[in-house]
Amino acid sequence: MAATSEQIRRVKVRPNYDHVAWKWMRYSALLLIPLVWIHVILQDVIVGVHAMDLDYVAQRWANIGWRIYDALLLGFAMAHGMNGVRQVANDFIKGDRARSIMSWALFVFWLAITVIGAAALIGGVRQDIPLN
Amino acid sequence: MSTLKTTLTGYVGYRGREGHYAFLLHRITGLGTVLFLVIHIVDIALVYLAPKGFLDVIALYQTTLFGIGEIGLVFCVFFHGINGLRIAYFDMFKPANWSIETGRNSTRVTLIATLILWLPATFFMVRNILIHNFGLFGG
Repeated sequence: MAATSEQIRRVKVRPNYDHVAWKWMRYSALLLIPLVWIHVILQDVIVGVHAMDLDYVAQRWANIGWRIYDALLLGFAMAHGMNGVRQVANDFIKGDRARSIMSWALFVFWLAITVIGAAALIGGVRQDIPLN
Repeated sequence: MSTLKTTLTGYVGYRGREGHYAFLLHRITGLGTVLFLVIHIVDIALVYLAPKGFLDVIALYQTTLFGIGEIGLVFCVFFHGINGLRIAYFDMFKPANWSIETGRNSTRVTLIATLILWLPATFFMVRNILIHNFGLFGG
């Protein structure tokens, strides 16, 4: 084998969309682990679904801290999840055009669900409507 | 359709043991979590959009069937988080750990860590179901 030079060649590549999306998955994940785990342990294990009603949600959201907490969950978890679906779907869909359609469809879906969630988070529990 | 078949055949047929199972579980638990997340955002939005509907959904969530689903969801959340940490840690700090042997061992550790978090949580969730749906333990 001929001797090869061991100079390290460094190339700067401009990050494309998928590069940014990949980093986003990592950074959002680090934030989501405490956010989601605390949420799940508190609501599913400690409080439990049998203690849930409109009053519970109203009381929780009376505290602006929990509203901010839920807003972070909504923003980070839904975006992380939708980008994850996009990555899985990329394995099953071939062709730039089909992938582009899938990406835009997921984006519209993400936007719709996020807007619905944000509306409730801002609007709060509506108790003016008689339930019985 | 052939892409679908090729990918699925690869998912099922690839014989990579632990590393392969971790990959599959990461996808399944991620998709399972995001499926419930979408449902959950909409059901919570009902407190503002249609409060009566929220109570109907909560009544459905309190059934035993959904309680079992909830226990599965908690497994998904714990596994996906721990396995994600493992992947990120290896990528960023220990790329040499991406060997077959370390991959297999770390997958086992991930599963054990998941069980350590999940089994106690399951105990309390099963207890809740037994108390409220079966009238046990003074329910």
